[in-house]
Amino acid sequence: MPKMIRFHPHSLFLIVGTAFVGIVLLLAMISFFYLPGDPMATDSATKLASPSPLHIFGCDHEGRDVLSRVMLGLRPTVTISLIGVLIAFILGMMIGSASGHFGGIIDNVLMLLADSIMAFPGILLALVFVAVIGKGLFSIILGFGIVFAPSYARIFRTGIRQLKDREYILQARMIGVKTPRLLIVHLFPGLVHQLAPAVVVGIANMALAESGLSYLGQGVQVPNPSLGNLLKDGQSYITSAPWMVIFPSLFLILYVLGLYFISEGIRMKYKAGGV
Amino acid sequence: MNYFLKRTFQLLCTVFLVSLITFAAFYVIPGDPARVILGPEASDGQIDALRVELGLDKPLTTRYFEWIAGAFRGDLGRSLTFRQPVSRLIAQKLPVTLSIAAMSILMTVLVAFPLGIVASGRPGKFLDQLFSVLGHIFFAFPPFVLALLMTLFLGLTLKLFVAGEYISYTDSIPGFIASLFYPSIAVAIPKIAISQKFIRASIIVEKEKDYIRTAKSHGLSDTKVMFRHILPNSLVPIITVFSIIASEILGGILVVEMVFNIPGISRLLITSINARDFPLTEGIVLYLAVMTVIVYFIADILHSLVDPRIRLR
Repeated sequence: MPKMIRFHPHSLFLIVGTAFVGIVLLLAMISFFYLPGDPMATDSATKLASPSPLHIFGCDHEGRDVLSRVMLGLRPTVTISLIGVLIAFILGMMIGSASGHFGGIIDNVLMLLADSIMAFPGILLALVFVAVIGKGLFSIILGFGIVFAPSYARIFRTGIRQLKDREYILQARMIGVKTPRLLIVHLFPGLVHQLAPAVVVGIANMALAESGLSYLGQGVQVPNPSLGNLLKDGQSYITSAPWMVIFPSLFLILYVLGLYFISEGIRMKYKAGGV
Repeated sequence: MNYFLKRTFQLLCTVFLVSLITFAAFYVIPGDPARVILGPEASDGQIDALRVELGLDKPLTTRYFEWIAGAFRGDLGRSLTFRQPVSRLIAQKLPVTLSIAAMSILMTVLVAFPLGIVASGRPGKFLDQLFSVLGHIFFAFPPFVLALLMTLFLGLTLKLFVAGEYISYTDSIPGFIASLFYPSIAVAIPKIAISQKFIRASIIVEKEKDYIRTAKSHGLSDTKVMFRHILPNSLVPIITVFSIIASEILGGILVVEMVFNIPGISRLLITSINARDFPLTEGIVLYLAVMTVIVYFIADILHSLVDPRIRLR
C-alpha cells in the first residue's frame, strides 16, 4: 500500500468521535423530514410493546414509538448544547480578553467574578433561572451560558497574558494595529489549540447538564420529548420496558462520548505537533 | 501566614459576590416577585400581604443586607410552603447529601490512585491503553444514567439492593451507609475515570525528572521512590483536579438523589422550585454555592501545604 495515508494515533479518536457524533446529528436532522412513527399519538394497543420490526426500539407507556421520540428528543439536547456553548464562548471571550489585555484592577475584579460564578455547581444556576424566569429553553440556555463562560474566560485570559509580550505582538502594536484587530487577528489564532478541545468538551458537558435538568423535570417539558425527560418517564417502567431507559441513555452517551473522543483527538494532534 | 490572610480575604470576597449573584438572580428581575410567586390569578390583597412577608416593600439594598446579616446568624428567612425556617429545613436534609458527597470523594481517592499508579507504570502498554479507553467511556456516562442502569442491572436483575429503599441515619447508621453506597458509586464512577487519567499524567511527568533517576541509581526500591518521592511531588495538579471534582460531585448528586429516591437536599430544591418558594430556593442555592467556595479554599490551603512555593506568588 502506498504511503499516501499515514495513520496517527489521534486519527482513531477523531474518526470514531466524528462517527458517533455524526450518527446523533444525522438522526436529529432526519427527524425534521421523517419519523418512523408518530411521536405524540398515544395508542393503547402498543402500550409497552417490546422492540419489533414495526417499532424497532419498542413503545412507551402510552404506546408511542420510542425511536421517534428519541429522534425528536435529540433536538433540544443538540440545540441547547450548541447554542449554550456559543453563548458561553462569546461571554468568556469578552471577559477573558478584557481581563488579559487590560490587567490590573479590571483583571482582578473580572476574575473574582468568574471564580464566584464557578462556585455554582453545574446545573444549579440553570435551576435558579428556571425558578425565576420560568421553565423553557431560554432559561436553560441563559443559565448554562453563564455557568460555562468562566472556563473559556480563563483560557483567553491566561493565553493573552502569555502571548502579549511576544515579539510579533509588540511589533504589531508598534506599527499601530488597533486593539480589536490585535486580539482577533494576532492573539486568538495562538489560542486555538487550547480553545478547540475546550469548546468540544463544553458541548458535551452542556448536553449532560441539559439532560440532567430535563430529568429533574425542570428542562424540556412533557409531552415534548428530550433525552432527559424520556429517561424520567422510562424510570417508572424500568422493569416492564427497559428499552424506554436503554435507548435514550445509549444516544446520550453516544453523543457525549463522541465529543470527548473528538476533543481528545484534537488535543493529541496539537501535542504531537501535527499539521 | 501572609498567604493565608490573603486567601481568607479572597474567600470572603468570593462569598460576598456569590451571595450578591444569588440575591440578584432572584430579585433583580423584571416584574414583581410576589406576582411571579402567586401567579396571575392572585388578588391584589394576597400580593400585598406576600410583599410585606418577603419584605419587598423595603428598598433592594436594605433587603440584601438584612438577608446577608441573617445568613451569618443562620437565619435565612421562612419557607413559604413549609412554614418553617429555611435553615432548619436545610439542616435536616444536608447530612444526607454531604454523606453521599463524602462517600463518593472517598471512593474516588481510594480507586483512582491505584488505577493511576498502575497505568503510569508502563505508559503505552496494554494496561495503560485499556484504562485510557475505559476512562473515556466511563467519563461519558452521566451519573444519573449510571444510576438508572445500576438500578436496572444491579438492583432489579441481580437483586444486590432494593431499588428506592432508603434508611434514615436516625434509624440505623450502617443501614444509612448501605443505602447511600450505590448512589455514591454512581456519582463516583465518572470522577474515578477522569481523575485516574490526571493522576497517571502527573506521575509520568514527575517520573521523568532527574532527581528520580538519582534516587533510583542510589538503589532505592521502586515502591519507596513511588511513595516517598513521586507521589508527594505529583500531588499539586492532582489536588486542583480534586477541587474541581468536588464541586462537580455536588451537581451530580442533585440528580442522582432523585433517581434513587433519597430525601436529600435535591428533592427539597426541586420542591421549592416547583412551588415557587423563593426564600427556600435562595437559601439552598446560597448554601450549596458557599460550600463549593469553601471546598476551593481548602484545596488552595492544601496546595500551599504540599508546595510552599505557591505562597510566594
